[in-house]
Amino acid sequence: MMRIGAIGARLQRISWIMVLTIAALMVIGIMFVYSAEYVSSGEWESSVPKYQRQIMWALAGIVCYFCVAAMDYHRLGKLSGWIYLIGILLLIVVLVPGVGVKKYGAQRWIRLPFFTMQPSELVKLAVLLALAQYMSRPDVDLRNMRTVLIVLALIGLPFVLIARQPDLGTAMVLVPFAFVMMLIAGVQVRVLVTIVVIGLMLVPVAWFNMDDYQQDRIRVFLGIDQDPLGTGWTKIQSKLAVGSGALVGKGFLRGTQNILGFLPRSVAPTDFIYSVIAEERGFIGSASVLILFAILIVCGMRTALLTRDKFGRLLAVGVVTILFAHTFVNIAMTIGLMPITGLPLPLLSYGGTFTISTMAGLGLLQSVYIRRPRNA
Amino acid sequence: MNDGQIRRRCLLVTVFFTCVLMGLGSRLALLHFRAGSQRVGLVDRKTIEQTVRVRRGAIVDCIGRDGILAIDLSVHDVCADPQVISRNGTVDQLLEQVGKIVDIERDRVRARLVREDRRFAYVARFVRDPVVREVRTLGMEGVFFEEALRRHYPHHNFMCHVLGFTNLEGKGCAGIEQSCDRFLRGSSGLYETEVDGRRHRRYDRRTLHIAPQHGANVHLTIDQQLQYMAERALDRVVEQHAPLSCHVIIQRVATGEILAMVSRPGYDLNDYRNVSAGDRLNRSIGIVFEPGSTLKAATVAAALNEGVVTPDSRFFCENGLWSAFGRPLRDSHGYGELTVRDIVKKSSNIGSAKIAIRLGKSRLARYLSDFGLGQRTGIDLPGEEHGILHPVGKWPGIAITRISIGQGVAVTGIQLLGVYCTIANEGVRMRPYVIKKVVDPDGNVLRSTRPEVLSRPITPRTAGQMRDMLERVTEKGGTGRRAAVEGVRVAGKTGTAQKPEHGGYSETNFVASFVGFVPADAPEIGILVVVDDPAEEYYGGLVAAPAFREIAAEAVRYLDISASGVELAGRTR
Repeated sequence: MMRIGAIGARLQRISWIMVLTIAALMVIGIMFVYSAEYVSSGEWESSVPKYQRQIMWALAGIVCYFCVAAMDYHRLGKLSGWIYLIGILLLIVVLVPGVGVKKYGAQRWIRLPFFTMQPSELVKLAVLLALAQYMSRPDVDLRNMRTVLIVLALIGLPFVLIARQPDLGTAMVLVPFAFVMMLIAGVQVRVLVTIVVIGLMLVPVAWFNMDDYQQDRIRVFLGIDQDPLGTGWTKIQSKLAVGSGALVGKGFLRGTQNILGFLPRSVAPTDFIYSVIAEERGFIGSASVLILFAILIVCGMRTALLTRDKFGRLLAVGVVTILFAHTFVNIAMTIGLMPITGLPLPLLSYGGTFTISTMAGLGLLQSVYIRRPRNA
Repeated sequence: MNDGQIRRRCLLVTVFFTCVLMGLGSRLALLHFRAGSQRVGLVDRKTIEQTVRVRRGAIVDCIGRDGILAIDLSVHDVCADPQVISRNGTVDQLLEQVGKIVDIERDRVRARLVREDRRFAYVARFVRDPVVREVRTLGMEGVFFEEALRRHYPHHNFMCHVLGFTNLEGKGCAGIEQSCDRFLRGSSGLYETEVDGRRHRRYDRRTLHIAPQHGANVHLTIDQQLQYMAERALDRVVEQHAPLSCHVIIQRVATGEILAMVSRPGYDLNDYRNVSAGDRLNRSIGIVFEPGSTLKAATVAAALNEGVVTPDSRFFCENGLWSAFGRPLRDSHGYGELTVRDIVKKSSNIGSAKIAIRLGKSRLARYLSDFGLGQRTGIDLPGEEHGILHPVGKWPGIAITRISIGQGVAVTGIQLLGVYCTIANEGVRMRPYVIKKVVDPDGNVLRSTRPEVLSRPITPRTAGQMRDMLERVTEKGGTGRRAAVEGVRVAGKTGTAQKPEHGGYSETNFVASFVGFVPADAPEIGILVVVDDPAEEYYGGLVAAPAFREIAAEAVRYLDISASGVELAGRTR
């Protein structure tokens, strides 16, 4: 049990910049989830408006954040093996017909009382913990090829399972994550380059294992196929939404792309929340969000630099990388720089499991920051 | 690996991440400031335009709503999607099954249905609800219905030439439908509505709203009852005399309102496409004919008005054959000396010509012109002819003896009736009209016709003298005895004009006419009956006068025209 005094002392060392940035993003998120589902005054698409649910998730996320931040991350590190196993188990369970819930053609959810859970979101944290824990063990030699292969296997297993759902977007987040983790852990550049080259050679294999709709999305992205009323619809409408926002936007709840449903209603509050923001608040809004993320990322990397503990450092870098990957892929998709993948924007998009896992990850980051060396 | 290296790698990652985010930011800026409005196209059509069809106004007679003559009916068009039909290979099936339910022109419909590049074709137009229900039960893919409004004329050929018809596009193409098209058609509404991503209209975001304006109703001066009587009488003439054509006009003397206007042959307005142009012609205003003796009234009125003769002036009528200007002029019976009264009563050509010569050709020409010959009356129906009255400078020497008896001059029925109505109306010539008023759906009167004076060719005194003389025509010994109506004093004049042909006059083809007014002493209505080329008998007194009598008798009864002094006059006769 922690004493009150200890908590007080910890609070003094907390990074308030990170807390405030997170809070700001969450408030923006709830506002625009409200807007994305807004049809006209007093009318929502669903009986329980998504913004109300999102407020609930945000509150749960905040609790989770402070719990994780208060906890010593080393204790989590010791549990990392079990957590990893539970994560993998959940990923297998979700693929079992009848247990996993299918939505939009992908089996990603497990139905629990009151809500459905998306194991892949939690698995990212499990992999992070396991990887950080493994690579920071003093007895592990990263120059040894066996070690590298174990690391790749630790990532490869959940990657394949998630890709099977299929949730290629989430699976792909693991790639830069693994790369950066290995880089920071001290794997030789030579080895990393080799891995990248092998990875690139596997791209055609991946292409032929993709579903039609995934291939379509990539074709549309590459401009081979426009299909403006089909697969290309969302991309074009999203770009139109962003473009029509201009400097200051059309005003809150005034975005026609959004309110009139040109941005498909199923994705406006989730994957395309950013284009709602861009349309209604213009460049000022979208750039502000970008800056908030940048602050978070820089703070996270600063944490990694400040800490003397390798496990903590890898945790911090891992959290930052996941955050960055999500942010980049999502925003790039919104503005047509990446193929459409169902990847939510951290802290802004609607979604229960994702909000909680993001907050848990950021809590981990805060935990590392709080426990940085006294002199730093 | 030492700590410094790790720190460098950390910094590198930070820098990389920041750069990527900045890259995203610049891409964002590009999108935001290069105005999204550049991309407007198929995807960006965010409004739907929708026109709202309006009901065409009704045409009603002088009594109003009860007598609807032309109304719009809601019907449907049976349409098909040729692409779907041809792809399913159901062209023949469709023709077969739909053909059982409603008449279709199979070859033409087939030609439309095999056009695979088209998405729309009419199968059958303007069908009523039972047909729609039957076709719907066939449940054929690619067959659909469109709502339409079709002009319907409940009385078929009744009043056809006055009413006119509308074409398939709903534009008035004849008669009142044409002349009042701008009132009747109204204006269709236009809505432009924003749509949402699912192409659903958003009624709270209507960008353009032009309210539809339903067509106004046209009220005619025509009285259905009188029209019906006139049509029946004329149909009887057709039956008895088998003429080429014939027409009747009834005009209210004091105002110029047309109470009835009939032309034969007629046609079914609902089937106007299968009718010749000749049948569609409103002969009362659309053809000219030489009036013959009926024009003598104008000649005599002019002479009286100028004071060159009195009703009792006497003229020698040459016992039926007079050679003037080197050409013989005949009367049908030889007469000796006749008063002007008797010249009119007996319809002596020679007497009339001599009166005209005393009047002089320039004055005759002026009077004829004042009576409205050679010019349109300005009746509010399309297709009115001018008639032919040559300028006096071009009259050859003989012309005065011919024009005075209605040869070498051509009139329309409405012009000729105008002469008699002028006499009946104390010498005041009124403009004839058939449109009483136009009333929009809200009850506002858009247009209402006021009686209009065109000219005053003769004085009331002359007019009174002429009425007395014309009344004698229907008395014993007059040419128009058969026009006399029991209990009513009738004034009028017969006309039996040889039809011009090959530069001369036909011996066998005539235009028989009778034109007059009732009652003679206080005229209410003028009636014209013209029968073109009757088969056997050809005298106006024999062919047209009986029809006149029939119409006049019924009209007087129907209009309850007061028979002042009629009892006395009527019974003594």
